[in-house]
Amino acid sequence: MRRYIARRVAAFVATLFFVSALVFVVVRVLPGDPALVIIGPEGSPEAAARLREALGLNRPILVQYTEWLTRAIRGDLGVSLQYDVPVGRLIVSRLPVTLPLTLMAAALMASTAIPLGLYAARRHRRAGDYVAMVVSQIGIAIPGFWAGLLLILLFSVHLGWVQSGGFAGWSSGVWPGVRSLLLPAIALGFFQMAVLVRATRSSVLDVLREDYVRTARAKGVSELSVLAKHTLRNALIPIVTVAGLQLGQLMAGAIILESVFALPGLGRLALGAITARDLPVVQGVTLFVASTIVLINFAVDLLYAVLDPRIRYE
Amino acid sequence: MRHLAKLLLVALALLPLALPTTAPAQQNLVVQAATEPPGLDLTATPASATAGVVFYNVQEALVKVDRHGKLVPWLAEKWHTSDNKNYTFFLKKGVRFQNGREMKAADVKFVFDRAMNPETKHPAVKQYEVIADIIVKDDYTITFALKTTNANFLLTMARQGSVIYPREAVDTLKSEPIGTGPYKVAEWVRGDRIVLAKNSDYHVKGLPKLDRVTYRFIPDPNAALAALKAGDVDATMFGLGPEHIPDLQKDPRFQVIVGETTNDVIMAMNNSKKPFTDVRVRRAVTYGINKPEVVKGAMFGFGRVLGTNVDPLNPYFVDMSGAMPYDPAKAKKLLAEAGYPNGFEAVLKVAPQYYYTVRTGEVLADQLQKVGVKIKIEQIEWGQWLSRVWKDADYDLTIIGHAEAWDVANYANPKYYFRYDSPEFQKIFQESEVTVDDKARRELYVKIQKKLVEDAPVVWLYIHPRLVVTKKGLQGLWKDLPAGAGVNDLSEVAWVK
Repeated sequence: MRRYIARRVAAFVATLFFVSALVFVVVRVLPGDPALVIIGPEGSPEAAARLREALGLNRPILVQYTEWLTRAIRGDLGVSLQYDVPVGRLIVSRLPVTLPLTLMAAALMASTAIPLGLYAARRHRRAGDYVAMVVSQIGIAIPGFWAGLLLILLFSVHLGWVQSGGFAGWSSGVWPGVRSLLLPAIALGFFQMAVLVRATRSSVLDVLREDYVRTARAKGVSELSVLAKHTLRNALIPIVTVAGLQLGQLMAGAIILESVFALPGLGRLALGAITARDLPVVQGVTLFVASTIVLINFAVDLLYAVLDPRIRYE
Repeated sequence: MRHLAKLLLVALALLPLALPTTAPAQQNLVVQAATEPPGLDLTATPASATAGVVFYNVQEALVKVDRHGKLVPWLAEKWHTSDNKNYTFFLKKGVRFQNGREMKAADVKFVFDRAMNPETKHPAVKQYEVIADIIVKDDYTITFALKTTNANFLLTMARQGSVIYPREAVDTLKSEPIGTGPYKVAEWVRGDRIVLAKNSDYHVKGLPKLDRVTYRFIPDPNAALAALKAGDVDATMFGLGPEHIPDLQKDPRFQVIVGETTNDVIMAMNNSKKPFTDVRVRRAVTYGINKPEVVKGAMFGFGRVLGTNVDPLNPYFVDMSGAMPYDPAKAKKLLAEAGYPNGFEAVLKVAPQYYYTVRTGEVLADQLQKVGVKIKIEQIEWGQWLSRVWKDADYDLTIIGHAEAWDVANYANPKYYFRYDSPEFQKIFQESEVTVDDKARRELYVKIQKKLVEDAPVVWLYIHPRLVVTKKGLQGLWKDLPAGAGVNDLSEVAWVK
């Protein structure tokens, strides 16, 4: 196990190094100059040139990267060009929005998709199955941003139950915070829920055809026990694999939905930083998101062993 | 199946627990803004998003362009010049910065010394090059000695880069600017909102009328519309497109303000690139465009047809909108004369961040096709547009709005992305820059506008209108924006009781 963890940590560091180098090169190769974006067309090219020099963007890319990497290893991700605030602080300030939003969407996704998938498999080729599949099909077909707008129209504009966007902040209480994230979490989780329903259904269907399920039923084990103990646990490996990947996709989906709901989260920070060519922020956020996704995959790998005692890492 | 239905019913029943949102107190205003400022330092960025929040609301200058476009004394009580080279400003007494300290002539000197210092990297440093010396006579009197006469000097003193701030606050201008304005920056939650709070010590008695102004950054126009309709914002200033306006005009809950701006929407032609090097081609393109139809098709009828780069809010504006009217036959004839009897192909680069440019491009492509100019529209991201089009002039055609007031100077700069290089125009323009006599300057501006129409370096399409939608009962907003398309003075804004 120790060797396994050591190997994974080495892979983690290598991935981050690769991601950081790739992002560093890509954002600099992209046409577009941070100084020009900051100065804008109202300013003069001379002013932009002076700013470019002040920002150190005239130096060779390798020098810039080495300097950035040395600082990043020490935990200093640089200072945002547009906000003039340390990137680390900016990322931390956005986490109270993105983290709960992703977790709420994930909870919503898992808590609806797994029961619904189980239900659909159990009612295979009956009305319940078809209804669940239609719901899932709708979920897959509706893009998150559109679902978001529809939810805003219904619950904010027509019914006036929740705010149309913006984040109340946790300082004003848990409920106002949760309320501002409710609609975006539903919009964000709906698509992934739809995918997970299908994954759960097909995985459970496979297991339901196994001999041991037939044996359990023949022994007179209750249907609930057959589903929960014998079927679900054995079907969980592919479900957890899909759900793990979906957590990463939820973070990506947050980029669009945070804009639709005007939430000050990590996704909107990244999007704004790309538009503004705020290179330190783009790098910092990408590195952070990459680390999170690698960590989630790592956790999923470890979970396999917990779920299935046959899987060992030595 | 029955369980599923029950579950859905429970979920629906729980939703009303999300309590209704509270109505805003009538001394507060929540404004939607599409773009978050890239920093709040007016001496570091010319961005209109920064000016929209800070200029006039937090920081002010010695001179002000008022809501009618007139230059009026502001932090200076008055000014005096006997030779148009030495300007003496008499500062208003008792004006306090938001940190409590009184504004003195030494602060003014510090501000302009700093702006002129190349180390500061002031974006408009060129405007101050004309200043030879700044002499503080006493705490409330300061003289600017100019190297030559300069017709724009007072305007320079009224521009956003000339705001007065206390020297001790110079390091925090980017995040917490301090000035003499009616509001002070109370909070900036990056990515979400900027909150301004009333400055009780404001030097104009009775102002401001609001206690708090919150700018909420909602980039998506549909989300902005939803926020307005849901009552989460009280006003949208630049967030809604013209397509949203007709419906809102019919809605009794809202008032719609349609005003003029200094934002000239143009289709630029690369004057250094064939076939646009030929003035006949540029004129042909101009004749091939039906501007009223462009305004109708791309702007839902909002916006004023434009003939040159001097906008209607400029005191020297001459209406040239009819100077080169739509005439496809003439366009074809000119193209044939220039050696393009079958027309030509060109690429039109637009940045969808400013969506009106895309819509305008689509209408133009359709119109120009009829005279033989086949246009391929290429949408590029704003950062790329700035690099490829604006900086490197790597383009055939592009559409953009030029929001700055008095920006006709761009045509006198042959390196500007139009690449329009007319020594004759440059000569008239330079003369207008040093002519202070109003009548003589007006004549020069008439010449400027005629010369531009004749050379057709770009096609001036329309003035992007100011489209403001607010809840009923809000008053005091400027109808027109003569001080620059982003500048938004909220000092006199109040709710009707």
